[in-house]
Amino acid sequence: MEIPFIVNARKDTGLFNSKVGIWLFLASEVTLFGGLFSGYLFLRLYADYPWPERALPVLPGLINTFVLIGSSVTVVFAWAALKMREWRKFQIYMAITLVCAGLFMVLKGIEYNAKFGHQAVRLQGGGPVQDNAIVEGHLHYAKLGEDGLMVEVDEDRKKDDGVFKANRVLVKASEFSFVLTRPTHEAYVQEILRQAGDSKITLVEPYQVIDKSELSAGQMNRDQLVSSENAQVAEKGSELTIELLDDLEDSYLEARSHDRKIRTEFLSASWDWIRNEKGEEQAATYIVEKEVWKERRVEDGEKLKILTLRASSEVTFKVDPPFTLVLETGDLVKKANVDDSSVKLRDDTLVTGKVLKSPMIMGVDALDFRTTAQRAEAEALDPLPVIEGTWLLTHTPDHDSHDDHADSEDADHRNQFKKIWDCHMAWLKAEEERLKEKGRVPSRNDKYRVNWDQILAYGGLGYDADKVYQESKARTLKRAGLFSLDGFAGANHKIHKGEFPHLEIPRAKVGFESTFTPKWNTYYAIYFTITGLHGLHVIGGALVLGYYLFFGRKMYESNPEWLANRVEVGGLFWHFVDLVWIFLFPILYLM
Amino acid sequence: MADSIEGIKKAKKLYLFIGTLLFVFTVVTVMVATVEWLDFGDHGFDWVDATIGLCIAAFKATLVMLIFMHLNHERPMIYFFYVLGLVMAFFCMWLIGWSKSDPIQFGNEIYSDGFYDLSKPATDVHGHGARE
Amino acid sequence: MSAEAHDHHDDHHHVLPWWKKYFFSTDHKTIGIQYGLSAGAFLLFGFFLMIVMRWSIAYPHEPLPGYMSWMFTDGWKARWLDDGKVTGETYNMFGAMHGTIMVFLGVVPLGFAAFGNYVTPLQIGAPDMAFPKLNMASFWAYLAGGLVMCMSFFMESGAAKSGWTNYSPLAGYADKQIVNQFLAGQTQWLIGLVLLITSSLLGSVNFVTTIIQLRAKGLTWMRLPFFVWAMLVTGFLLLLAFPPLEAAGIMQLMDRVVGSSFFMPSGLYSASSGAAMDLSGSGSPLLFQHLFWFLGHPEVYVLLLPAIACVAEIIPCNTRKPLWGYKPMVWSVIVLGFLSFIVWAHHMYLTGMGPVISTFFQTTTVLISVPSVILLTAMIISLWGGSIRFTMPMIWAAAFLPMFGIGGLTGLPLAFNLADLHLHDTYYVIGHFHYVVAPGILFGLFAGIYHWYPKMTGRFMDNFLGHLHFWPSLVCMNLLFFPMLTQGMAGFHRRWYNGGEGYIEKGAEGVNVFGLTVADKISLNEIMTGSAIALAVFQLPFLVNMVISYFWGKKVTSDNPWDATTLEWATPTPPGHGNFTFDPAVYRGPYEYSRPDHDSDFFPQWEEPKRDAPVEESEAEPEKQTTVV
Repeated sequence: MEIPFIVNARKDTGLFNSKVGIWLFLASEVTLFGGLFSGYLFLRLYADYPWPERALPVLPGLINTFVLIGSSVTVVFAWAALKMREWRKFQIYMAITLVCAGLFMVLKGIEYNAKFGHQAVRLQGGGPVQDNAIVEGHLHYAKLGEDGLMVEVDEDRKKDDGVFKANRVLVKASEFSFVLTRPTHEAYVQEILRQAGDSKITLVEPYQVIDKSELSAGQMNRDQLVSSENAQVAEKGSELTIELLDDLEDSYLEARSHDRKIRTEFLSASWDWIRNEKGEEQAATYIVEKEVWKERRVEDGEKLKILTLRASSEVTFKVDPPFTLVLETGDLVKKANVDDSSVKLRDDTLVTGKVLKSPMIMGVDALDFRTTAQRAEAEALDPLPVIEGTWLLTHTPDHDSHDDHADSEDADHRNQFKKIWDCHMAWLKAEEERLKEKGRVPSRNDKYRVNWDQILAYGGLGYDADKVYQESKARTLKRAGLFSLDGFAGANHKIHKGEFPHLEIPRAKVGFESTFTPKWNTYYAIYFTITGLHGLHVIGGALVLGYYLFFGRKMYESNPEWLANRVEVGGLFWHFVDLVWIFLFPILYLM
Repeated sequence: MADSIEGIKKAKKLYLFIGTLLFVFTVVTVMVATVEWLDFGDHGFDWVDATIGLCIAAFKATLVMLIFMHLNHERPMIYFFYVLGLVMAFFCMWLIGWSKSDPIQFGNEIYSDGFYDLSKPATDVHGHGARE
Repeated sequence: MSAEAHDHHDDHHHVLPWWKKYFFSTDHKTIGIQYGLSAGAFLLFGFFLMIVMRWSIAYPHEPLPGYMSWMFTDGWKARWLDDGKVTGETYNMFGAMHGTIMVFLGVVPLGFAAFGNYVTPLQIGAPDMAFPKLNMASFWAYLAGGLVMCMSFFMESGAAKSGWTNYSPLAGYADKQIVNQFLAGQTQWLIGLVLLITSSLLGSVNFVTTIIQLRAKGLTWMRLPFFVWAMLVTGFLLLLAFPPLEAAGIMQLMDRVVGSSFFMPSGLYSASSGAAMDLSGSGSPLLFQHLFWFLGHPEVYVLLLPAIACVAEIIPCNTRKPLWGYKPMVWSVIVLGFLSFIVWAHHMYLTGMGPVISTFFQTTTVLISVPSVILLTAMIISLWGGSIRFTMPMIWAAAFLPMFGIGGLTGLPLAFNLADLHLHDTYYVIGHFHYVVAPGILFGLFAGIYHWYPKMTGRFMDNFLGHLHFWPSLVCMNLLFFPMLTQGMAGFHRRWYNGGEGYIEKGAEGVNVFGLTVADKISLNEIMTGSAIALAVFQLPFLVNMVISYFWGKKVTSDNPWDATTLEWATPTPPGHGNFTFDPAVYRGPYEYSRPDHDSDFFPQWEEPKRDAPVEESEAEPEKQTTVV
């Protein structure tokens, strides 16, 4: 048996099978990306925060566009070579296509990597606008000091033991309560044990489950059984291990199954009773006859008290001596505040103790007050004074942890961010004047956002607002251009080490924080989703085309036309991938 | 269909030309977005820039479809598939858009009161924050 | 086809190993049967979930009886049942999975994939599907998706609980306490869904290509059996409607796994943790609903068309007269397919859409009833004046007509915004679409099973068992679903796990807009639950019938036991690999029954005309049709 029209076209349709297939597939891809673009459109049009316009560095995207267009040309050349039966040329063109695909993915990887390492924090505070200033930057690294508090360490040591990113929550843990109703998360227990070091974590009370066979034998009553040896699953003072927790869980779950089974039997018996004693009618009018029913259930309850095991669903371990537990914020069910007496992990484990001072420490490379301004305008306030009043521009840096003596000596009470903002206002003034000549006004981006290259430029002038104004007026302010390689994938903290201001954000001021991942806002969410899916298409296409390149020789010799058809079809898919990127590039990088 | 050797040779020149055109228009798109004297509409990004960018993208996409994907000499059935996909994608966008911006709107405040945290900006019936 | 290209293919008819023959087969018939059997298994499982739910509705305070609860282990019961009673959480889980399983894993695979796979290539005279390997991949993707979804029943989180529609923000946040999100039922549902969409995408590309490319000689568009037309339209529906849901599924997966806010609005507060959620917000829950229903509504026709297709084949064959209005039916099905893309928001009248857009969707929804009514009417008229043979398939097909009619007509009030505001999310809606799906579509598919069983196995199904299956099913279906319409008008909400008792207990006695109260109608619950259980019992004859007929059923005496006219009956019984023993050519339309100029009362498509040369309605015709379709 063979399927017709694989190689040659059917007469009435004029097409071979796989061409029909691929075009149908592409039509469905159109609706797939149509759905995603609808998502983009409506998330953007109805966003309740200022959409990050032109937020990505253009250069990698631009190079990727060239790469994909180039590969589109070579893939169609590869097909033409096959049509002319030039195997060698086909190989060359196809190989170039694959190299392009690889290059595209590498650039994509560099971009993604830069985003994953770039931190953003939305601050929170009082007042009608809830602060909402956003700082972007690069997290510093820290380790625990002698006193159990955070001490900053150099980034070079980030691989060392006990060094963590400075956005963690520190809890002085004195007690852990594990919930046995659902398997506790092993990774958490392991992490706790790892961090405990020399501290001992021991069971506070013996964990007891009565032997159910003895209970049903009826020799002893419940109280006697509780005190018997067999009831003990773990004795007081047992050290926490994963095996121990597993044991306790198993015993608890078994006891729960047993209890539930007995309770079910009792309930069924009650229903039989009401059916037999009171008749179907009354059973049906359950609600009406509730009183009768209640009595029966009270009786049942008394019996059940004796017959069930009633094991405890929680076990508590105490920690001696208490140690500082470093937790990721994502592992907590809700935000921790300094001095809270307990935090809950996502598997319901309760860590009792005290939440320590756990600030976020970062090098700041951008200030963004667009949200603040938007909220201020919504409250009919003038944005600029509101911005001036935000915590970021008014706080006094913590002098213990950071050497800032120069500041306190000259009577300048401004913190570094206020200085940057003042420079920015100076720049904005110059810009406004310049644009005014052309009958234009600065955009909201210009007004309320200070970008990394601006921070560097202002820093280069010693944060002197007057100088900034003059230089801007003279158009000699040195800002990294759009295509400079320092900022290939965003602000570069390696090259400009120490040039970005240092910021410690108290935990209470952190409203929302994330790296530049889909979590940060819907823009990055849609960016990662669409480009990720597009990247998968690139990989898929490259695999197929690579298959033709590396394993196509045999088919070329037996039936070159068939291979040409396949390459044409693979090429159609490849062009479609290119076509999607043609839209993605302006939408995500330039708008 | 460029099936003959000469046809393909001729087509290859066309492919190169189109490839170059695509390069050029990519550069134009970037310039419209970044170079000040090509910045139409208001200063910075606005809907004029978006329209121009999308028009150029659509033009480039059309070139890819017509020349690289051979739609310029393809069977009507293929057009039918592709147009059907486009039409459905259009419906998807258009009707969702319409349903979100109905010319007759209910008063938003009726629906948002009490549903959401009022310290946040008011949300409309669609669960979106008021933008303006 | 060039001969030298393919001579290495010629001798591939050696015996395949058993696992290749029955499991990893690329033969469309085997794949069709695989689809049928797995879909059947999923249907039974979904049915079981429904019975547990119905028990909870009628007897909310009573432990599950032994004949239901033996399925569960003690540990599972301890986790999910409250002293043997169904809890609200468990009810939600079963409800969500009942819907998902029935729609995505049961009816669509049975109708479109099983019947489509088995019958379509035979009816168009093709040796197999155009892409046999894709076909196999499609089946395995489907099975993997189904198993991933159902596996979550055994996980700590349980299966998905946010309704089969999986609306955000509920679905975006449910099961968030599970630290490894890939082990949460709600996430697995999405992963399963993405696999299923992949499967149906591969399937639909394959179907449409097969129908366009592999039609036998002379099988022009207007000679295609209606079944094939329905499959073609269904293929397009799946092809174009599913991807936006795939996009939505991926976005929701991102929401769950990496914490994005595609569908999570600003200011969400979690009652369980007592704090604002750690989300960026600004997402749009309605966007999910739109993308979901963009698939959701065409999906209804994906369910329906294969059933109508089966019935449309069976009616002419058993009335011994041509299908009345073949061409209008074809055009109707095309228009129906097209319109089904622009009616979706009638599922969303209650979301606060403005009146203008509501009116648009109201109009398109009412418009789409026109082609549906044409289809139904044409089939009813086809019965008129026929000498009807009440064979087993015909009985089911005949019952399909009124049952689907009730389902369709009860949908009309729901099409109107004003009536829908009262009926939305009540049992009226449940009654309406279950009338369409259960006694409607499933009856049509049962008809199909009885009709093509002789072709698949070479034996007829047993008539007595067939009647024992049919009549009680018909009665029970109506006893189960008709009360839902009344209950719905009395205001019964579809998600009450205790069937309205909690509502009454709260003392809510108000008479609703239809003048009915919940208290009046609550006693119907027990009748419905009883019928549901009886319905389950009366599916046993069918299962028994399937098995015993395979071994001991009455053998067919010819390859065309029903004296039908379409090409599938020209194959050997059961058809071998490659299907046809001759090169099939088609000389006439699909339903040439009782032609006065022909001696027997049927004139098969493949039979060469005696006097005239084959009337070729010109080769150009198919192309012309294509452009219009």
